Amino acid sequence: MKKVSIDPITRLEGHGKIDIFLNEEGDVANAYFVVPELRGFEKFAEGRRVEEMTDITPRICGVCPEAHHMASTKACDAVFHVDPPPTAKKLRELFYSAFYVADHTVHFYILGAPDFVLGPDAPVAERNILGVIHKVGVEIGTKVITSRGKAMDIIGMLGGRKIHPTFGLPGGVSKAITEEERQQIEATAREEIEFGLFSLQLFRDVVLKNKAYVDLILSDGFTMPTYYMGMVDENNKVNFYDGKVRVVDPEGK
Amino acid sequence: MAPNGKLKLALYWAASCGGCEIAIVELREKILIVDQVADILFWPVAIDAKYKDVEAMPDKHIDVCLFNGAIRTSENEHLAHLLRQKSKVLVAFGSCAHEGCIPGLGNLFDRQSIFERVYLEAPSVDNPQKILPQTTTQVPEGEIHIPKFYNTVKTLGQVEDVDYFLPGCPPQPHQIWAVIEAILAGNLPPKGSVVGANEKTVCDECKHKREEKRIKKFYRIHEIIPDTTQCLFDQGIICAGPATRGGCGALCPQVNMPCRGCYGPAPHQIDQGAALLSAVSSVVDADTEEEAARIVGEIADPIGTFYRFSLPSSLLHRVRLNEGGKVA
Repeated sequence: MKKVSIDPITRLEGHGKIDIFLNEEGDVANAYFVVPELRGFEKFAEGRRVEEMTDITPRICGVCPEAHHMASTKACDAVFHVDPPPTAKKLRELFYSAFYVADHTVHFYILGAPDFVLGPDAPVAERNILGVIHKVGVEIGTKVITSRGKAMDIIGMLGGRKIHPTFGLPGGVSKAITEEERQQIEATAREEIEFGLFSLQLFRDVVLKNKAYVDLILSDGFTMPTYYMGMVDENNKVNFYDGKVRVVDPEGK
Repeated sequence: MAPNGKLKLALYWAASCGGCEIAIVELREKILIVDQVADILFWPVAIDAKYKDVEAMPDKHIDVCLFNGAIRTSENEHLAHLLRQKSKVLVAFGSCAHEGCIPGLGNLFDRQSIFERVYLEAPSVDNPQKILPQTTTQVPEGEIHIPKFYNTVKTLGQVEDVDYFLPGCPPQPHQIWAVIEAILAGNLPPKGSVVGANEKTVCDECKHKREEKRIKKFYRIHEIIPDTTQCLFDQGIICAGPATRGGCGALCPQVNMPCRGCYGPAPHQIDQGAALLSAVSSVVDADTEEEAARIVGEIADPIGTFYRFSLPSSLLHRVRLNEGGKVA
């Protein structure tokens, strides 16, 4: 059968290709998602000091190193049977929440938006973040860059480094914050809420008001009903750092 | 340069994590300047160009290729050769391409033991047929292929001719920008140079106060609450600062954590791990050989400590293999 390869797949973190086989009529007979990468963290973490997992495992993914840093830090808590003091937990949660803002900005504007803001039929050379900026204008582009940057500044302030942070320790964190830093974080948090609302409005205006995009998103090929899983606090509100796992069905029940 | 006068740029990731990509995103508003002066022809994380588009380019079509990631698979090596052929200037960008980095710790093992752990033994694996990766797999519709997973991780410079080395895990954005400015100004140092870093060590950039080191006991990071104004090494925490090239601004010590050495060997050093080992042994405060042996003997995982980022590029390179390609 004729094979069409999409190699590499782009605008995501990690390596992959898609092999599509076409039958004699030229229709898709089958498609395979192929992952051509492995580094072997599962093996080479063996023999390393457990408290150094907070330095080693973030290198699994440099787009979301904060997630690996927090997961390994919490694993260290469990290994050493230590419960961090409330302040340390709050600093970790603050750090992780800042990451949530920065990461979702990357996902929405850099990885996803080219498909929606420019459309799937846009020329290949334009279908990227720079094309998005050309379309929405430098003013909005700068707003996106600045908002993401301020969230990254909080990650750096708390975590030591903006990429591959280093402050997590078994039972706590390695650095406190000053009152001045707390004020900066609060001011940034308020700005990020405004930015979130702005992004939602942009999505409504650019995507939801465009019938062609909405028809595409809701078409069979782009729709996959799934269950949803996330962590919630004691009030059943979403919490990205800690809590109980809650699962809801495709209808949200 | 393109006919429009813009620099033709390519960015690639081999065996890497994507942190080098985010370091480029961290150029922030300067990305808009890059957009004005350069055309980015290839950048999988952000741009939809494919391998076939690179293959179709004339040789030396790309002005500068920033290549991050180590060489772990045959695909990584193929892309290293392809991008060398298509690029006037090839930069080993970031610690993986420069010295092997964290993925280089794979050189403590061999392919078979990595496969067995990942695909058979890991607690989350369910693989009753004990299937391990094959480079060719027959499916009803034809064949699908994956690259060969090498026994040994190599750096970019060990498989291709590299023009410049830009260290860091990841490189700090202000350093990347300095290098981009130098490229645009045509003001690059001699081929083979380390760029985007300093000619000093991390200690020279560190704000913690240094005094004479006399170490009776080395502490793991969770065993001590250090004085946040004093040198961490002075307090018995192994810090790679004295053996590591500066350029990051000593970020990790700023949050009271030791340097692990991601900027690679300090200037004029060949082997970062040996240099750090030498720094450690010179501060041991022992009256007898037995006491010295006890103090250094308490250091857990010396190779993963001294060679955290540089094992493939070090004199050790890897753990010895027997004739069958297994760890001897």
